[in-house]
Amino acid sequence: MLAGFLTLVLCQFAGEVLVTWLGWPVPGPVAGMLLLFVLLLLRGLVAGHSVPAPLEQVSGGLIQYLSLFFLPAGIGIFFLPDGFAGQWLPLALVIVPGTLLALLATALLLQAMLGKPVKKRA
Amino acid sequence: MSRLLDIALHHPLAGLLLTLAAFQAGLAIYRLSGRHVLLQPFLLACIPVVLLIRGGYLSLEAYTDSTAWLRYLLGPATVALAVPLYRHIGAIARHAPVLALTISFGAFTATSLAWLLATLGGANPVVLLSVLPKTVTTPIAMQVAQAIGGWPHIAAGTVALTGVAGAVAGPWLMDRCGIRDPRVRGLALGITAHAVGTARAFDESPQAGAFASLGLGLTGLLVALVLPFVASSLI
Repeated sequence: MLAGFLTLVLCQFAGEVLVTWLGWPVPGPVAGMLLLFVLLLLRGLVAGHSVPAPLEQVSGGLIQYLSLFFLPAGIGIFFLPDGFAGQWLPLALVIVPGTLLALLATALLLQAMLGKPVKKRA
Repeated sequence: MSRLLDIALHHPLAGLLLTLAAFQAGLAIYRLSGRHVLLQPFLLACIPVVLLIRGGYLSLEAYTDSTAWLRYLLGPATVALAVPLYRHIGAIARHAPVLALTISFGAFTATSLAWLLATLGGANPVVLLSVLPKTVTTPIAMQVAQAIGGWPHIAAGTVALTGVAGAVAGPWLMDRCGIRDPRVRGLALGITAHAVGTARAFDESPQAGAFASLGLGLTGLLVALVLPFVASSLI
C-alpha cells in the first residue's frame, strides 16, 4: 500500500513541479494524473495490461471517498461573504437548466452518431 | 460540564471528527434509503457541519484548520483517477472517434452554457470563473477554478449540485426524448453529471456505467488541460 501511495504523491509532485516550471495554468495534480496514465501505458508495453496491486488498492480507496475529501471546501458555498448575496440566481441557472440542456444536447448528438440502439453488447 | 464541552469543541481534532462522523452517518442514511439519488452522503454530511458553524459552536477558521488533513488527500486522489481510466483503455481505443467528438462537444456545450447563464443571471467575475469548470469531477473542478481565478469553495458546491441535478432529472429527460441506448445514456451522464451521474448510470446497467466512467475521466482531463488556457486568454 505504501508503494501505491508513494507513486501517487510522486506523480502529483512531478506534475506540480512541471507546471510551475513551464508556467502552465494547468492544475498540478491533473498533470500528475496524466503522468501516471502515461506511466501505466508504458508499463503496459512491458508487463501487460494490469495495474500494480498496491496502486490499485490505494487509488480504489481514495476514489471511493473523494466526496469526503472535498467536503470541507464544499461547505464554503454556505458561508459566502456579504457581497455575494445576489449570486444565488446565476448559480441556480447554471446548475439546473445549464446541466440539463448540456446533457440533452450531448445525448442527442451521440444518439445520432451511433444510430439505432444496439440490444447486444457492442 | 460546559467547560468539558468547551475544551472538546476547541480541540484541533473537533472539525475533523465532526466531518468523519457526519459523512459516515450520511453514508448510512444513503444506503438505508436504497441509494436514493437525492440523499447523497455529501449533501447529508454538510447539514450538521453547516448548522454547527452557523450556530457559532465552531468557527469557520478552526474548522478549516482542523480539516486540512482531508484537503491534502485531494491531490493524490485526483492523480488516482488515472487508474480507472487506464483500466478502460480498450474501450477508449475501440470508440476513439465517437468519444473524442462527444466529449469535446459535451464539455464545450456545458462550459459555454455555464458562461452564458451565469452572465445572464448577473454573476460577478469570481462566481463566473468558479462555475466554468462545473462539468468536471469536483477535485479537478476545484483545482481548475483556483487556477483560473475562481473560488474552489463555489466550484465544489456548484459541481456537487450539478451532479445531483443531472442524475435526478437526466434519466427522466432522456426517457421523454426516446433515448434508450445504454451507451448514450451513460456517456451523457458521465460527461455532464460526473461522479453522481456515473453512480446513477451504474444503477441503470453495467454498460451505461462503464461509458459514464469514461465520460467522467476524459471530460475531466480535457477541461483541466484546455480551460485554463482559454480562460487566461479571455481575461
